[in-house]
Amino acid sequence: MSIFDGIISGFGIALTPMNLLFGFLGALIGTAVGVLPGLGPAATIALLLPITYSIPSPVPAVILMAGIYYGAMYGGSTTSVLLNLPGEAASVVTCIDGYKMAQQGRAGAALGIAAIGSFVAGTVAVVGLTLFAPPIAEFALGFGPPEKFALALLGLLMAVTLSGDSVVKGLIIMVLGLLFGTVGIDPISGKSRFDFGVTELQSGFDFVTLAVGVFGLGEIFYNLEQQGAAEIVTTKVGQVFPKMADWTKARMAILRGTLVGFFIGIIPGGGAVIASLVSYAVEKKVSKHPEEFGQGAIEGVAGPESANNAASSASFIPLLTLGIPSNASIAMIFACLLIKGVTPGPFLIVEHADVFWGVIASMYIGNVMLIILNLPLVGIWVQLLRVPYSILAPVVILFTMIGSYSIANQAFDLYTLIAFGVLGYALRKLKFEAGPLPLAFILGPMIEGAMRQSLLMSGGSFSIFFTRPISLTIVALFALFVVGQIFVSVRRSSR
Amino acid sequence: MKRILVNSFVIAMLAALLVTGAALAQDKYPSKPVSGIVPASAGGSTDLMSRALEKVWPKYSPQPLVVVNKPGGAGVVATEFVVRSKPDGYTLYLGYGSGHDIVMPHLQKMPYDPYKDLIPIARVSVHSVVVVTGAKSEFNSLPGMIAWAKKENKPITTSVSMKAGAQDITITAIAKAAGVNIVTVPFAGGADAVTALAGGHVMLGAGHPSEVAPHIKAGRFKPLAIALPERDPSMPDIPTLKEQGINVSTWGSVKGVGAPAGTPKEVVEYLEATLRKICEDPEFKKTMADLNQPVMYLNGADFAKFLQEAHADYGKLIKDLNITIQ
Repeated sequence: MSIFDGIISGFGIALTPMNLLFGFLGALIGTAVGVLPGLGPAATIALLLPITYSIPSPVPAVILMAGIYYGAMYGGSTTSVLLNLPGEAASVVTCIDGYKMAQQGRAGAALGIAAIGSFVAGTVAVVGLTLFAPPIAEFALGFGPPEKFALALLGLLMAVTLSGDSVVKGLIIMVLGLLFGTVGIDPISGKSRFDFGVTELQSGFDFVTLAVGVFGLGEIFYNLEQQGAAEIVTTKVGQVFPKMADWTKARMAILRGTLVGFFIGIIPGGGAVIASLVSYAVEKKVSKHPEEFGQGAIEGVAGPESANNAASSASFIPLLTLGIPSNASIAMIFACLLIKGVTPGPFLIVEHADVFWGVIASMYIGNVMLIILNLPLVGIWVQLLRVPYSILAPVVILFTMIGSYSIANQAFDLYTLIAFGVLGYALRKLKFEAGPLPLAFILGPMIEGAMRQSLLMSGGSFSIFFTRPISLTIVALFALFVVGQIFVSVRRSSR
Repeated sequence: MKRILVNSFVIAMLAALLVTGAALAQDKYPSKPVSGIVPASAGGSTDLMSRALEKVWPKYSPQPLVVVNKPGGAGVVATEFVVRSKPDGYTLYLGYGSGHDIVMPHLQKMPYDPYKDLIPIARVSVHSVVVVTGAKSEFNSLPGMIAWAKKENKPITTSVSMKAGAQDITITAIAKAAGVNIVTVPFAGGADAVTALAGGHVMLGAGHPSEVAPHIKAGRFKPLAIALPERDPSMPDIPTLKEQGINVSTWGSVKGVGAPAGTPKEVVEYLEATLRKICEDPEFKKTMADLNQPVMYLNGADFAKFLQEAHADYGKLIKDLNITIQ
């Protein structure tokens, strides 16, 4: 199937009433959780994972999750601008200049440019996904166990070192995720590890339970403590369509943000959060008036908000072609596909063309829905910030419990769910970034399995990682990254 | 006063009759939906077979069969759940005869006895093991590849879906029978094992028909052999190992239906008859053919005998091949 035929058939799938509905739901829920501070896309996807069991086909399920992921990138800016609180992690930098703009009475301009930037970046990134994913998928068969090992290791390390502000804390979380990942039957020897005689543990911890607990419940527990912390500065949004002067200033920032976001989204370990941070730095660097940043520079909103959208769409490329998730939200979509009997990897485009093209086409439609939801209707979302958490939290917890139980119909999962919820709460309380946990949990067994498979293939010789060109390249990148990190930290400490 | 007493007596009697009547009606099995426990998650081969059963079941029974997925513990969690449930015929085990029933007991301690604690009701299907190689491979037959390995004194790398599973045992048995060195590389499931072979990262692979058939059709794999005593009816063109002079045949993956020990005889007979009718149903046969799962019905008694033989044979094989999971 050529790319053109593929995308046409994809639209045929994405435009069916059922898939349109799920796409709309995704955009709606995504915007909502983007707006609500505390509840991010990873937590929401985690909370909704159990529901995907009752969705009969993988296509609407993934359309829904994808919609939430990139939809949250739209909604996140609203809270950043109006509350000086990031609605989700990738909108942290938007607070700096967006909130300043709101204080200057230019909230509408900030929100407007964020939405337009998101739309442009999101659409461009989906075009990139459409064009680049099929050739990458063809190339991806060349990724055997040694390449998979090297790439997954690189991705994990990058995700850990770049995600939070403390590398040590990131590493602790990573090790925790890796440890949880070792529980269950060892794929190579067949021996059950760390099951303590509990039959339910022989298959390891359930990813959904872990993700829902650490992200969903943990975040809800934490937010329950934060009652009344958020106060809206202004509910007066004003004119959202940007003026000519703003547009002239912002359009190059949108373009740069899109490019930065797209490339950071493709690399393993990348994602929306890093993309927005890098974009802000880039904008500040290229600006003729860097002193305006922090004082309400519209480029400081336009760039990062475009970047996080481009990155969220681009991060579907490694998932759909190599079967390697690059961040926590994508890791959950990976799990969702597995639940539906679809193994992400080079064959996805061939064997599940409906999933591949249907989801990509739904992203074009989703971006159109989102610009409508976020530009003319932004006032409605502001009202959402008034729903009392005391009503929201118990409802969400109840659905979480029902959902988790329904996966395997066993009470054991409820106990582990609560335990992981407490863990997630503790991590938030101790200011740990939980993102690497589910990622390490999924990548850990992948890394271990791929390494031992490689060694079986080579008869025990480590040379297999250095004699294959793709593997060697990735190992070299890995070495470069580690040396670079050490260099940076040595320079920082000597200062 | 007397009238009141008599009246109350009559009412009490009527009530008692009603209750017993209801109870009697309830005794006629099945009076409520039957749960079919699947020891795997949705989408796997056992699940697909169970969904096919679920679809056709209402044609032959007044109450529906409801498939419940209980993945975990490589299948042990679900089977233990059935073993410990009330033996009233409302909780059935779908996929009886899977690897954790006929292979695993030889390798580790089980929390139940897969034969004494379960009643075999019927066999529905047998999933064979197909030995395949990549389309770009220079070998067109298994004996050809074996001859090369002997001559060059090199190992044949083979991807299998899991350690000590039916495919691993089959390949290891081939190595022993042919006297060559075959290294089995276990992957996390059939799809990953198949991808590694398609990428040319290993020389040989093995999988159930439902896993490899799409790749054979797409021209990515060349089928080499079927590891059953006879050819697989779902892929009749592929010769068996024995036909090619390799003295290996295994039992494949057996998929039957079981009930907890103590289930009343008439209930077992009812279920056996229902399953026989389903296995003869054209719609069911069509669905199963689409899934590359041949319908191979056996009644309870024959299925029990088959299970015993398969179990004993795998035990011998595992001992001969010295397969352990340490």
